[in-house]
Formats: sequence, structure tokens, C-alpha cells
Amino acid sequence: MPPPSSETILVERPRLLDRRRLRRLLVLLLVLGAVLVLLAPLTATDQADSLGAPQLVDRSQIRILTTVAMFVVMASAWNLVGGLTGYSSFGNVAFFGLGAYTCAVAVDAHRLHLPMAAAIALAPLVPAAFAALVGLPLLRLRGHYFAIATLGTAVAVGEVVKNVDYLGGATGLFPPILHRADLLFLYLMVGAALLAVLVSRLILRSRFGYGLIAIRENEEAAGVIGVNTTMYKVGAFAVAAALTGLAGGLFALWNSFINQELGFSLDFNIQMILMAVLGGAGTLFGPVLGAIVLELLIQNLAGRSDVAVYAQIGLGLLLAVTVIFVPRGIVAFFGGGSRLSVAHLRRSLRETGV
Amino acid sequence: MQLFVQQVVLGLLIGGVYVAVAIGFSLVWGILNIVNLAHGALVIVGAYLTWLLFARARIDPFAALPIVAVALFAFGYALQRALINRVIRAPLFFTLLLTFGVNLVIVNALLVIFKSDFRSVTPSYSGSGFGVAGVQVPYIRLGALGVAVAVAAGVGGLLNRTRTGAAIQAVGADREAARLVGIDLRHVYALTFAVAAACAGVAGGLITTIQAITPTAGEPYTLQAFVVVVLGGLGRVGATVVGGLVFGLVETLGQTMVPGLGAGWANAIAFAILVLVLIVRPQGLMGRVA
Amino acid sequence: MTALLSIQGVTKRFGGVAALNEVSFDVGEGEILGVIGPNGAGKTTLLNCVSGVYRPDAGSITFDGHSIAGEPPHRIARLGVGRTFQVVKPFASMTARENAAVGALFGASQLALSRAFAAADEVLEMVGMAGKASLPVASLTIPDRKRLEVARALATRPRLLLLDEVMAGLNPVEVDEALEMVRTVHRSGVTIVLIEHVMRVVVGVCRRVVVLHFGQTLAEGTPDGVLRDARVIEAYLGEKYARRLVGG
Repeated sequence: MPPPSSETILVERPRLLDRRRLRRLLVLLLVLGAVLVLLAPLTATDQADSLGAPQLVDRSQIRILTTVAMFVVMASAWNLVGGLTGYSSFGNVAFFGLGAYTCAVAVDAHRLHLPMAAAIALAPLVPAAFAALVGLPLLRLRGHYFAIATLGTAVAVGEVVKNVDYLGGATGLFPPILHRADLLFLYLMVGAALLAVLVSRLILRSRFGYGLIAIRENEEAAGVIGVNTTMYKVGAFAVAAALTGLAGGLFALWNSFINQELGFSLDFNIQMILMAVLGGAGTLFGPVLGAIVLELLIQNLAGRSDVAVYAQIGLGLLLAVTVIFVPRGIVAFFGGGSRLSVAHLRRSLRETGV
Repeated sequence: MQLFVQQVVLGLLIGGVYVAVAIGFSLVWGILNIVNLAHGALVIVGAYLTWLLFARARIDPFAALPIVAVALFAFGYALQRALINRVIRAPLFFTLLLTFGVNLVIVNALLVIFKSDFRSVTPSYSGSGFGVAGVQVPYIRLGALGVAVAVAAGVGGLLNRTRTGAAIQAVGADREAARLVGIDLRHVYALTFAVAAACAGVAGGLITTIQAITPTAGEPYTLQAFVVVVLGGLGRVGATVVGGLVFGLVETLGQTMVPGLGAGWANAIAFAILVLVLIVRPQGLMGRVA
Repeated sequence: MTALLSIQGVTKRFGGVAALNEVSFDVGEGEILGVIGPNGAGKTTLLNCVSGVYRPDAGSITFDGHSIAGEPPHRIARLGVGRTFQVVKPFASMTARENAAVGALFGASQLALSRAFAAADEVLEMVGMAGKASLPVASLTIPDRKRLEVARALATRPRLLLLDEVMAGLNPVEVDEALEMVRTVHRSGVTIVLIEHVMRVVVGVCRRVVVLHFGQTLAEGTPDGVLRDARVIEAYLGEKYARRLVGG
């Protein structure tokens, strides 16, 4: 046995706060924090009042949380098609609007007059059917053509809806206002967000998910190894449509008002994309992170109307910065390997620059 | 019949403006493979510049066009060199997002500076024209068509008859090969975008003479440019000219034949047609298979 | 020997040019068939027609009793046809193991996700990449990427494997290693159709060779016989050399 050399032999000593333990601790704290945040609004109920509990959360904060949850759904849904499959849709807001209008029409006393639960159940179905129908031809396009074709589809659907009286025409529809709607829809929307994340996770760890990623990486190769690319693409498109439609339906009921401008808002459209990209397209938690970060940012600026224009400028700058400096998203910084460093940023710039 | 001919003439004339808008867009897309969602914003910047020169310095809009072209050229060059060059090799939709962001910044900056009031440019000869066989031909629109054709010819000439144009086409054909023969990619990219921006600016100047402008008035032009370019086929000046004229024709005739058809409908129909065309013929109506 | 793959009168046109013109030949089960011919002869086009990337304009292709001409690629892969690409097409953001595992999930294999990774390790071992399974594609050398391409196709459990110029760009040592890999794959029971330019490989491993030229079958037979055929020499080297080499 040769004597130990002058080099010190490093021994892996179990440290109290090694990387894995640290990460687990972080996740635990996050989950705890999320649970607290979600239970806090209950202090605003009448029951809490009668128990004498202090109100921790006010109306506007509940509204913000609900909006954040809504965008978690939309960003995660977009991620399925744009992040996993590599087909960057610029028109997912069409599904939002379709879901919103489906719900509004369903509960409307002069139209379908269905109970709310039935309306919510319908909300994902109509957009999914639309996606399956329109997806077959659209998903044969690639790159720019696909992006703009989807954008055009969203614009066109919005235009059509504005001109149909049954759908409220230019005025829109007014679902009834419910008692304690703010709490109800907070939890419904959070439920939808959890569903979206769950669905994403299921897909990411399934044959379906691997097939989608294969399509993104190299569609021709995916085809010859046996992936039914058409079915998979349309499937992802339909699932994304269903989730986005659910968010739209809940939105319509929560907002008690829906019209073409709200339902097919190009703002929402670009926001859900930016959130997924900023957070990390193709990952599970990227869209969630991006939605939370960006929406909180937007909500804090949106309140003051005189600042609205500056908020838009800020959004535009953020888009530019994200795309140039953080193309793989914030999540890439937490994953294995890459670290937040100037060298990393410089490398990422070199990869995408001239 | 006379009404029909009148509408055809007007449609062709307005088509000229669409040609001017689409030329720059097509150039950037064909050579740089960038769908510039901020194109409409560049058009509107040109429009506001023209308006400023008219309102403050009493410069005739057509005379102001060269100034606007130079200004937008410089702006476009800087924009490409500083920002867009950085993401040129990134996946396509990153450039879409970037140009969308640029669009947001420009449009809202204009809103801050000029507010959302409508502005228009009305030189002394607006509204007057001459008659030919019972058909009225407004001076302004004829001038606009003339300028548009000149711009198209200019860009075509640049691309086909100059060294710079050859470099631009080389870069568009094969960037690595272009780099290997010593072409400065960064500069040529910026140059291409600058030319496109100048065209957009000129188009904007033409537009002020025809409609009232407001910062958000550029958005439909981006979408229209897209439709024109796709229908005509990418990267061919002649095809873009035809596409723009056809679009103008269809829009004008459509609006007269179906009264009450708002501007929104026109875009929606255009898109529906576009999507259908793309599905059946992914290379556009006149394009070549890649 | 029953023909596993039967190509009859296959024609494929692009514009006015017939890339393939009435090509017919059979591949028997358990064979290694070489397909050679000068550049532009239509070899890759043929492969594309068999694997479903192209739809032939005329003719029929029968695999294991099923008619596959014009079928979508995924269905043909399901039946048991695997192929590699001349310019490799790996799934760039995945590791080698994941690339192979995706193959195991689909094709004729259709394994569950829980078993796909074990199957991936098996095929990686067979192509000689046992230690490199967790490497991302970006860190793989060209020979390794070619191996990965083969591994991924193998993972789909094909009965017929179409290899498109798998030796291109390899130096002589790498060619020897790749040759060994082809033999190993063949021994495991896979029928192979090998498009190749490197004659050493064709002579070394193929029992039968088909020569394509301008989209038509020029000759068919043993490697030695075919390479001595005056028409084949003329196709590759021109009339002058053909006369000189055959003694004229």
C-alpha cells in the first residue's frame, strides 16, 4: 500500500447543509409558505370574523392571488405545446376566450342556463375540440408560419365572436355575480393551477412526454423511430387548449363579465408566453415560477393607471432582456450545473448571437 | 361599371402603400429569417416623423420622405446591431418575442410623447386629383403609388446590382459561406434591417397623407405585411409588389361590396385565407418550395 | 429464403427528375445487403421510400407481408423497420441513454417507461457505448453520435435495419470499430441494408450487393462480382477507366 502522497485526499464528510439537504429544505419552506398563503384568505370569511380571527388578507390581494393562479394554468398549458413540443403557439388566447365564452353562455339565464358546475366542466371541452379540429392543419406548419398562423387564428376567432349576437356581440356577456365570489374563485383557480401542474408532471414523466420532446428535438427522427407525430402534436395542443379554456371559463365567471377584448386579449397572449419562457420553457416549474414572478410584477404596476404605459414599456424591456440574457429561463439557474454568473450569461449570448 | 373601375383604381393605389410596408418586412424575413413584429411600429415612427416635419417645419410630406428614410435607416441599424443581432441564432420564436418587446417599447414610448390623439397631415393638394375617363385619381394616392414603386425598384436594384446587395443576398443564402468569404455578418445584418426600416419609415410617411395616425395604428400593418409576404412568397420583390396591390384591391372592393364591413373583418378574413393557403401550399402563392 | 423486404418497380420523381426508376430487388431475412452507387444514384431516396419519409410515385414495397409504400414513418417503424440518417439526427437536449430509451418506448419495441432505460443500456452496450450513457449528446464525438444513432434505431427492436452511410467521415480505425458494431448487430438477428461508399466495408460484411445508378438498378450480385462488372466501374470511374481496368 503506497504511502499517502503530499496531495490531500478529499473525503466526502456528511455535512449538515449539503446541496441536497439544502434543496429539500428550500422546497419544504416553499410548500409551507404556499400553504400559509393559500389558507390566509380564509381569515376574510364571515366564519373567521365570528371567531374573532384577524383578517390577514384583503380583497385586492385575494384578487392578485387568483390572477397569479390563472396565469400558472395558462403558462403551464402553453409550455406543453411551446416548451415541450417546440411548437411556439402565438394564439393560445383563442382557447382562453373560447373557454370563457363557453362558460358564460352556459350559465346565462337566457341561453343554456346550466348550473355553474356544468358550465365549468364544459369550459375545457369546447376549446379542446376546437384545438383538435384546427390543430390538424395548423400543426403541419413550422416555425414562423405556425406562430403567425396561430396568432391569426386567435385574432380571427375574436373577430367572429364579436359579431355573433348569441355570444353577446360587441357588448359581451354578464355571468351572474356570486356571494363571496372572490374566495370561491381563488380556490377554484388554485385548484386549476394544481391540476395544470399535475397534468404537466404526468406528461413529462410519460411516454407521451418523451414523444413530445423527441418531436421538438428532431421531428423527422421522432417519426422514423415510431412516434405518431401528428397525433402527439394534436394531443398536446388539445390538452393545452383544455387547460387554458378552463382558466378562461373560471375567469369569465369570476369577473362576471366577458367580451372580445378581455377574452382574446393579446396582452394575456404574450404574457403567458413570456412567463413560460422567463421561468424556463420545457421544464415543470418554469412556467409556475415565471407566472408568479411576472404577474406579481405586473399587478404591482397595473394598479396605477397613469403608469400603465410605462408598465407596457417595462414589459417590452423585460421581454428583450429575457430573450437576450435568460433564454433558458430562471429555472435553469436552479437546476444542476448552470450557475448565475457572468460567464454563463456570456456563454449564452455567444450561443445565440451573430 | 364606372364605380367598379373607380374602386379598382383606388384599391391599386392603396395597394401601393401596402407594397411599401411589405417590402421591408419581406427583406428582413427573407435575409435574416426574422419576422419583425415591430415593423408596424417602425412604420408609425416614420409617420410621426413626417407629421412632425410637416407640423413644425412646414415641410411637404413627400419632400420629407428622404429625411425620414435616413432617420429610420440609422435607427434600424442601431436596433439590429445592438439588440437583434444577439438572438439571431436563437430559436425562431425568441426573435418573435424580442421584436414584440421592441414593438411594445416603441408604441408606448410614442404614446408617452404624443399621447393617443389622432394626427394627420394635410398638404394643400390633398383631396384634389385629376379625372381620367370619368375616374377620379387623387394626386396623393397616385404619388404614394409612385413612391412605393420607386422604393420597390430601389430595393430590387440594391439587391441585384450592387456589391452590397450581393453581400446581403449571400448572407441570406448561406451565412456560414458568406462569413467564410469575408463578409462582415454583423454589419450586413444591420444594414439589411436598416434598409427595411427606411422602407418602413417611407411607408409611414405615405400613410400620414392618407389616414390619421395614432401610436397604435401600426399594428394592423404588421399583420397585413405578413399576409402579403406569405401570399406572395418570401424574398421576391416582384411577388411582394403583386401581393401588396392585390391586397389593396381586395380590401377596397370588399369594403364597397359589403357595406358595414369594418376594418377588423378585413384582417380576420385575410387571416383565414392566409391560414388556408399556408395549409394547402406552405410556400405561399408564388413562392418556390424551399 | 423468404424475402423480408421486397421492392418492386419503385419510382420516385422530384419535379421532372426520376430519382428512382423502376427499382426492384429483395432482401432476405438475416442478410446483410449492401447498396452502392455513385453520388446521386438514389440510395438515400430509396431508404426514404422504404422508411416512409417519402411516398413512392409507383411500385410496391412489402415488408414482412405488409405493404408499406406510402405509409407514415411511425407505422413502418412499428412493423419493425429501423433506420439511421446520413447526417445524424440525435435528440440534442437528452443524454445518450435518454436517446436510446426513446427508441425503446416506440417503434416495434413499445416498452413501458419503467423498462425503457434498461433496454437503452442494453443497446448502448451492443454498439460499444456502455460507459457513455449519461453523457449529453453535445459531448459525444462524431463516431459516438453515429453509434448512438444506431443504438436508438436498435432500441426500437427492428427486424430490418437500414443504415445510411454510417461510415461517412470516420477514419480507418473508426471504420474498423464501426464494422465490428455492424457485425455484432447482425449477429443479434437483425437484417441489415447498408448504404455505403467505403468499399472495404461492403466487401468485408455484405454477402450481396445491389448497385444503383441514376435511380436504376445497374447490377446485383456478390461484392467481388459486382465490383468487377464493367458497367459498375464505368458508373463510378467513367468509361476510360472501365476499359483500362477490365482490359480493353
